[in-house]
Amino acid sequence: MAVLLELRDCRLAYPSDRKNQPDRLALAVDELTLREGDRVALLGRSGAGKSTLLRHLRDGLADSASWCPQQAALVPQLKVFHNIFAGALERHSGFANLKNLLLPSPRFREEIATLAQPLGIRELLWTKAEELSGGQKQRVAIARALYQRKPVLLADEPVSALDRRQGRDILDLLSRRHGTSVIAMHNASLALEVCNRVIGLGDQRVLFDSPVDQLDPDTIERLYR
Amino acid sequence: MRYLTALLALLVSFGGHAADTQRPQFTFTAIPDQNEAELVRRFQQVADYLSGELGVEVRYIPVKSYPAAITAFRNNQVQLAWFGGLSGVQARRAVPGSEAIAQGYEDQFFKSYFIAHGSTGIEPADTLPQAVAGRTFTFGSKGSTSGRLMPEFHIRETFGESPGEVFSRVGFSGDHSRTIALVQSGAFEVGAVNYAVWDKAVASGEVDTDQVSVIWTTPEYADYQWTVRGDIDAQFGDGFKKKLTAALLAIDDRAILDSFPRSKFVPADNDDYRAIQQTAESIGLLSDF
Amino acid sequence: MTGFWGQARSLRKLTFWFAAIAAACLAFADIDITTRSPGHELWRMATGLVTPRIDDPQQWLDAVITTLTFSLQGVVLAAALGFVLAVFYRRAWVRILAAALRSVHEVFWALIFIQVFGISTLAGVLAILLPFSGTLAKVYGEQLEEIDPAPARAVQSGDRQSVSHFFYTRLPLALYAMRHYTAYRMECAIRSSVVLGFIGLPTLGFHLETALRTGDYGAASALLFTLLALVYSLRFWFRAGLLWLLVPAAFIVRPISANWSAANLAQFLRDCIPAPLRHDWPLEKTGRWLAWLGEQVASGAWNTALLAQIALVLTGLFALLASTLNSSHFVSGMARRTGDGFLLVLRSLPEYLLNFVGLIILGPSMLPAIIALTLHNGAIIGHLLGRHSDEIEPPAIPTGPLGRFAYHYVPTLYQRFLAYCFYRWEIIIRETAMLGILGIPTLGFYIDSAFQFLRFDVALILIGVSAGMTMGADFISQRLRRNLRMEAF
Repeated sequence: MAVLLELRDCRLAYPSDRKNQPDRLALAVDELTLREGDRVALLGRSGAGKSTLLRHLRDGLADSASWCPQQAALVPQLKVFHNIFAGALERHSGFANLKNLLLPSPRFREEIATLAQPLGIRELLWTKAEELSGGQKQRVAIARALYQRKPVLLADEPVSALDRRQGRDILDLLSRRHGTSVIAMHNASLALEVCNRVIGLGDQRVLFDSPVDQLDPDTIERLYR
Repeated sequence: MRYLTALLALLVSFGGHAADTQRPQFTFTAIPDQNEAELVRRFQQVADYLSGELGVEVRYIPVKSYPAAITAFRNNQVQLAWFGGLSGVQARRAVPGSEAIAQGYEDQFFKSYFIAHGSTGIEPADTLPQAVAGRTFTFGSKGSTSGRLMPEFHIRETFGESPGEVFSRVGFSGDHSRTIALVQSGAFEVGAVNYAVWDKAVASGEVDTDQVSVIWTTPEYADYQWTVRGDIDAQFGDGFKKKLTAALLAIDDRAILDSFPRSKFVPADNDDYRAIQQTAESIGLLSDF
Repeated sequence: MTGFWGQARSLRKLTFWFAAIAAACLAFADIDITTRSPGHELWRMATGLVTPRIDDPQQWLDAVITTLTFSLQGVVLAAALGFVLAVFYRRAWVRILAAALRSVHEVFWALIFIQVFGISTLAGVLAILLPFSGTLAKVYGEQLEEIDPAPARAVQSGDRQSVSHFFYTRLPLALYAMRHYTAYRMECAIRSSVVLGFIGLPTLGFHLETALRTGDYGAASALLFTLLALVYSLRFWFRAGLLWLLVPAAFIVRPISANWSAANLAQFLRDCIPAPLRHDWPLEKTGRWLAWLGEQVASGAWNTALLAQIALVLTGLFALLASTLNSSHFVSGMARRTGDGFLLVLRSLPEYLLNFVGLIILGPSMLPAIIALTLHNGAIIGHLLGRHSDEIEPPAIPTGPLGRFAYHYVPTLYQRFLAYCFYRWEIIIRETAMLGILGIPTLGFYIDSAFQFLRFDVALILIGVSAGMTMGADFISQRLRRNLRMEAF
């Protein structure tokens, strides 16, 4: 399988908001390789460095990764339709984008309606994002990531606000649409169902990195102890 | 919606009206040395009179300040202007070839009054009273002949110092009417004012002569005049300047003359204002350093 | 609450220094009261105020329409230009350009443009458009900087900016605040439009100046009420829905035109070259000219700084007290509407007018100008601060109004209050310089004199000095605000 990204001896820091403040270490990675076809679940307690690693991967993969952030990060004043459409602004001309903002074109309406259907937000397309519930916002963020149509998916707790069944269905959908994915999760059993590789993070480093079928349940248990 | 349409139609009709007045025409202005309503009344009469005499449409445009009048003249927005002595000199320097063509009979012997608030106790005298020194003092407009130039000249003559050194405070009221109001209210103790404006204000009862009175009259000098651009014949046809001069000198309508107030208009030329120019240069208003 | 003075030591120090400087300035400033018998004039003013009179309805309507079209055209164009500048506000040259545009007062811009374009719509609209676009660029720019960056980061990696991303992920977040501020600028534009009348453009101010100058207070009062009505009525008609109709109407009614000729422009530009260079003067003569100019710069700048610092601190004091008139912590219902109405009236009165009335009552010193600046600017900050105070919680332990003011209201709002004052600082300096046109010896006095004798080179140099002072205040206030992490909008 082709290698997409290789990390070696990386020391990742929290992004600091002040220039003169020393960076705090978030995660040290000795070696990590991402190959095509990997379905990686990032596990670890909060603060273990999952988001930091995802951000770093995003910088490394640049244009080939779709991105689904932890907080939905929607534009509250815009309709759901436009929030989803914003995922793929690079794909269209600036003129088409601006026109679609004022006068949504039938082609994009069709595309996005089809996309929204399985996520259960088709009826919400013409609602303003600020009027949505937490779960609805998360599904819109997922739709926006899907609409980016990139080969790799990077997602940070994408289903945290959904119930287990819904979450599973959506993770399945995400996996089907992307050849490769790295998803940070807090629900370990769900991770084991949909992923083929698990990376455990803790104490600012990578504790283990193994295929799902070689994983020992105790290892995961230890992660959260 | 109907109201909006009606409003729009009304506005458009105003627009059309405004556009109509954009055609080139013979236009004149005057320095705004006093009450504007009065100026408009006076010069509208002049405009009507000139329209009849010259056979072209003549328009008067009011301006807000002395330099605005000079600028309008220089930029050919007006071809004729009623200037004061100093503003006329400035304008003719700015537009080479322009000429003073007529002045009021009284403008040959113009003068300024020094006026003082009653509380100062300054008595009228034949020379500028020494008692004005140390008082607060207001001129009229910065570019006025009767409200600035000649008073300043005489202050310097009498005291050998600039007004800033003679008085405890020096102001510029903006025009003659306001000079009277400011001295009358006591905001300034002494002021200098155009004698014609003062006499008229006293006659019409606008001045409380218990509060404010004349303490000194300056020697006579030449003041207001009609100045015309040098290229006016090129713009309006040969002989236009001659016709215009004749028309101005021939004004005999008492209503017009009284509004200035002047008894009649007499011929003038640039040399009549040589003394004004020298005075302005001597006190540094027009000096080239 | 106990931590306020502790955590805000730097705020306290800052306040102390500004107050100390103002007190020192007061010692140098000319603030005598010199009138003897203002009674007569005041009585006439009072009578005039209660007997408003419109002599010539046609002329009045014409002036109202011109006032509105100037401000509407100016604001709409300024919003467009300011918006474009705001999009690129990260770039240093855009910031400098915007600062330069707004550092020159409308009146000075107008004095320049009247020289080039005559008394024309173009001169009036440009005089509003340029400084307003500088202000709008700054405020829009800061509003865009302060939005939540998360949505933008969610759909694009790295720092690349594209027009599409801007419109989808940044603009919508700031749009509400931008619209709100634009509506406020429209109010300012009406005021500016009136003030431009004072120097000859055919707006309400043209007739207002005449009426005041000649003591026709009945006519002045009618024009004043018209101005207040225009400002007050904005909330009913300055709306997105109506603007589609009003803006084209404004451009149809008063099409932008100018009395322009290449010869006049060339002449003006020639006159703007400093005299020694233009005439190739000998060195000695140039020296005399420089000394003469230097004296004006020094005296003008000194008086401007003096007056502005005093006015700034007094503005702050007045604003803090006046803001209670528009704060839910102190007034409600009818009382609050009255209070806010009072502030609206105060801030709508042009400083020129306040200064003029002050001159009659107090005589010719800096005092009328100080009072005019304090009332006008204090009412603006007071209104904003009062409105902002609605967002803070009432105190946990109820106390009387005085206790509430001292222990809750002032401490919680102080940072915001200082931010507003610093925002206003550059504006106060600009207005102080401008008020010189009325006679106090700030820079405007010398600028007016230079225009009076057609010395455009000198006028431009002095305007440059005034712009430099304004930009200096802008720069310092930005540094202070950044260091103290203040946000005003």
